[in-house]
Amino acid sequence: MATGDYEDRRLRMQRESVQSRWMDIYDPVRHLDPILVLTALALTGIGLVAIYSAKLTGVAAEAQAMGFVSRQLAALVIGIIGMVIMAVVDYRWLRVYAPIFYGISIVLLGLTLSPLGASGGGAQRWIELGPLQLQPSELAKLAMLVGIAALLHESKGRPHLGYVLIALGTTLVPTALVFLQPDFGTSIVFIWMTAVLFLIAGVKVRYLVALVISGIAGVVVALQQGLLREYQVSRLTAFLDAGDASAAQTAAFQTRQSMIAVGSGQFAGKGLFEGTQTRLSYVPENHTDFIFTVIAEELGFIGGSVVLGLFLVLVWRGLRIAILAKDLFGQLAAAGVVAVLALQVFVNVGMTLGIMPVTGLPLPFVSYGGTSLIVWFAMIGLLLNIHMRRFERPASAVPIARRTSIGAG
Amino acid sequence: MTRAATRRRIAAPRLRTRTGAQLGVRRIRWLLVIYLIAMIAVVGKLVEIQVVNADEYADIGVRQRARTVDLPATRGRIYDREGDVLATSVQAATIYGDPRRFRAGETPDGTPLPPAADADETAAALAPLLGLEVEVLADRLERDAHFVYLARQLDHEVGAAVAELGLPGIGVLTEPRRVYPAGGLAAQVVGFTGIDGDGLQGLESRYDPILSGSSGMLVFERAPGGLDIASGVRELVPPEVGTDLVLTIDREIQHAAERAADQVMADYGAIGASVVVLEVGTGDVLAMASTPGYDPNDRGDEDPANRRNRAVTDIFEPGSTQKALTVAAALEEGLVSAGTVLEVPDAIQVGGSRFSDAYDHPTERWDVTEIMERSSNVGTIQIAQQLGPERLDRYLRDFGYGRPTGGAFPGEVGGMLMPHEQWWGTSLPTISIGQGVAVTLLQLADAYHTLANDGVSVDPRVVRGTVGDDGRLRPASVSDGRQVVSAQTAATVRDMLEVAVVGEHATGPRAQIEGWRVGGKTGTARKPAADARGYSEEYMATFVGMAPIDDPRVVVAVMVDEPRPFFGGIVAAPVFAEVAEAAMIALKVPPSNAGQDLRTAMEAARLRAADAELAAQAASQEGDAVDPEEPTSPPVGDPTGSTG
Repeated sequence: MATGDYEDRRLRMQRESVQSRWMDIYDPVRHLDPILVLTALALTGIGLVAIYSAKLTGVAAEAQAMGFVSRQLAALVIGIIGMVIMAVVDYRWLRVYAPIFYGISIVLLGLTLSPLGASGGGAQRWIELGPLQLQPSELAKLAMLVGIAALLHESKGRPHLGYVLIALGTTLVPTALVFLQPDFGTSIVFIWMTAVLFLIAGVKVRYLVALVISGIAGVVVALQQGLLREYQVSRLTAFLDAGDASAAQTAAFQTRQSMIAVGSGQFAGKGLFEGTQTRLSYVPENHTDFIFTVIAEELGFIGGSVVLGLFLVLVWRGLRIAILAKDLFGQLAAAGVVAVLALQVFVNVGMTLGIMPVTGLPLPFVSYGGTSLIVWFAMIGLLLNIHMRRFERPASAVPIARRTSIGAG
Repeated sequence: MTRAATRRRIAAPRLRTRTGAQLGVRRIRWLLVIYLIAMIAVVGKLVEIQVVNADEYADIGVRQRARTVDLPATRGRIYDREGDVLATSVQAATIYGDPRRFRAGETPDGTPLPPAADADETAAALAPLLGLEVEVLADRLERDAHFVYLARQLDHEVGAAVAELGLPGIGVLTEPRRVYPAGGLAAQVVGFTGIDGDGLQGLESRYDPILSGSSGMLVFERAPGGLDIASGVRELVPPEVGTDLVLTIDREIQHAAERAADQVMADYGAIGASVVVLEVGTGDVLAMASTPGYDPNDRGDEDPANRRNRAVTDIFEPGSTQKALTVAAALEEGLVSAGTVLEVPDAIQVGGSRFSDAYDHPTERWDVTEIMERSSNVGTIQIAQQLGPERLDRYLRDFGYGRPTGGAFPGEVGGMLMPHEQWWGTSLPTISIGQGVAVTLLQLADAYHTLANDGVSVDPRVVRGTVGDDGRLRPASVSDGRQVVSAQTAATVRDMLEVAVVGEHATGPRAQIEGWRVGGKTGTARKPAADARGYSEEYMATFVGMAPIDDPRVVVAVMVDEPRPFFGGIVAAPVFAEVAEAAMIALKVPPSNAGQDLRTAMEAARLRAADAELAAQAASQEGDAVDPEEPTSPPVGDPTGSTG
């Protein structure tokens, strides 16, 4: 009996040991954030419908629209794979490889300015890879986020001026490259992201104030030295109704058409695929930058608020993950993702409503654009990763391991 | 979840110090507040646009999408009283260009477009068809516009030829063009339309609202590039065809009147002439001619002054034609009868002025008829003195002086007749012989119409009725008659008017026509100076009469402006005769001579009409001496009351 008991016990302990080792690996998966993933998927789904509607115009409308939708779907598939990879690999490895990612993204950004870069809409933003187009500035968002978060993580919550200056340099190189494309909107995103990371990392408020002041001074200098192209200045000032130049009128026209489309959606919308402003292409770029107008016109205030509400859910889940994160890197990375998301949503939707300048920032998950979608899902993956690994060690592993060692002894 | 919560509580201490983590969390909460504020701003703006001001934005959207195409209504026609067309609309071709197609441009989404064609080549191809200079066309095609007219309302064939060329950037529109098949006939009465079909003058203008109908509308949806969305027809309002107008004008009489007016103008070097023919009883204007005229189909270089309908826009002093009205008033008041004999001296002193007859004569005993026959100024003034200012004024106004006739003619004026309270010493004598008072030719014809119509005044009218969709004539109203003088008085005056034509001492013998008895009165009046008070050296010759005098059917009034010689009896009376005869033939009025059968009379009249020109020439050569005409001296007295 005793021997049998002992044998039974030994076998059981062995079995539990194997189980628990599996559990160690499996455990984080039990701490996924389904709300986060489902919300991102819901936004992407809405985006697919809106892209279809926006492109349902002209001759061979349906074929054209389906072309855009299938390309976006392909990006979604890649994005989900990217999300899984970003979630599965312990994010602490990202910290290790951050400098490499950062370096690659700098090279890619440099390539957009080289003859390899493809231009469109007055800027060189893409690299042609056979049939595919890559938008390195989207990748750089993630690489910079990880890189600067890793850098500040080293400061262990007490960043001295040295860290701040290094992080600042790390930010300014890609910012300058993006700015030269020129992509004013993305360079603003980069600066904002770094500012938020500084804030969370505990950079002294007086440094932040100094940075803001020098940033404003930089913008003033940029304007005075003519670093911004004319169309950029006019787009930026158009929403102030200041422009009487024809370029400003173009931008004002876009904003006005966008507001007309949103307004004519009224409370309940005109019905899916029934948006006349959309259908007749009054609003420019309504599958990318002005996608929100399609939703607001066809689905009305209800549709628009649902989209904004979904973004609010993402912000909530993201900040929750940041607060729960087990280390500074996780906290910084999660808060950084949310910062980029919130800024882009605010600037993009604000632009369609005429309260922000026309800057050409896409609406995350919703706007047409493969690289953007893939990177956003990768960022969701990063958030999941931080969420899943928010505990110092798997809680269940500790007692089992102890028991195992007891059992072995 | 409870398990997760348990784990959280027992989680190991973090890598960071507690204070550092707490600082981070606090700052994340700040960020959350910032995000929430931003979200509230966005949602607030969304509510403003989509809920509060949504209707406004929706309206703007509808307006900018809607492309409205006017569907022009076919303008109503204008017919004469017999149904012959005076004005109608035909489909014409209008050639237009889109100058944008001749420049490099870009599509709404930014794709550059090369020019579709070369402006100079296109102009060279079009110039011979449109009959325009190449340079002019090329210039228009290079304008900074979306649409330019190259040529409007050309013949249909030209449009077809242009369409056949298939030139890019050039289009052909079908547009109605107003044409006047009768040419200059009654041109001043009918008027004309502008290039866009709006009535600008004459009845075309006066009756524009009913002639033009109401244009319809087709509303499309439109993309920003201006492309029509084929499926997007939103609204169709069909046009309502304009109503046709039937005039009282009789083409034949009108033609005779215009021919006679042209002739008299040529023969006597006049600067203008007008003829009005009224139908007795209805007041219908059978003819209203003014010369010089114009061709409404080709108004190019014509003097715009020729477009006015002189018979209603120009006023003149009626002169001796006025005497019939003065006498009618005295008869009606019972002051005199046709046989009342007055002692008429050579001249008379009234209000400090001396009024004399046209020629010297000893003091004679003339009855009222003879005073009319001889057109005696002195005799008429004596009668007027019995009448007094108040009654003369009242009768003249009853005869239609001092206000426009009720016919509502475009541009019509009411003449000038001062209220009798403001008359001075010489007003009564001057006004009684038709000076110091001014009327239009239509007013004068209207006054004589009252005499012809047994003393009943009827407003003259030029529109007989309208013809709507159903093709039925809706007659225009005839004004109620208004008794001005008794039938007896009217008949008495008519007898006098006949004597004034046929009498031994008559002033208007040239008004006679063979076959029908006529009556009428000559007039010669000095024209008021254009630039100052008093009179110029120019005269107006007038004649107003009616035929047949025993049962009047028409009243014919003639006015000749600045003829030489200037006597109404010489210049205007033959015009009356020619027009009255044409009217008798056109209206198939049985000849007054009962013995003569109708056919013979008509035949004879036609032959005489053919000789009208010769007769008029002969009359001008015979000279003044032959005629026992009225004033050889200028009319005496003027409105300023200065002594002559």
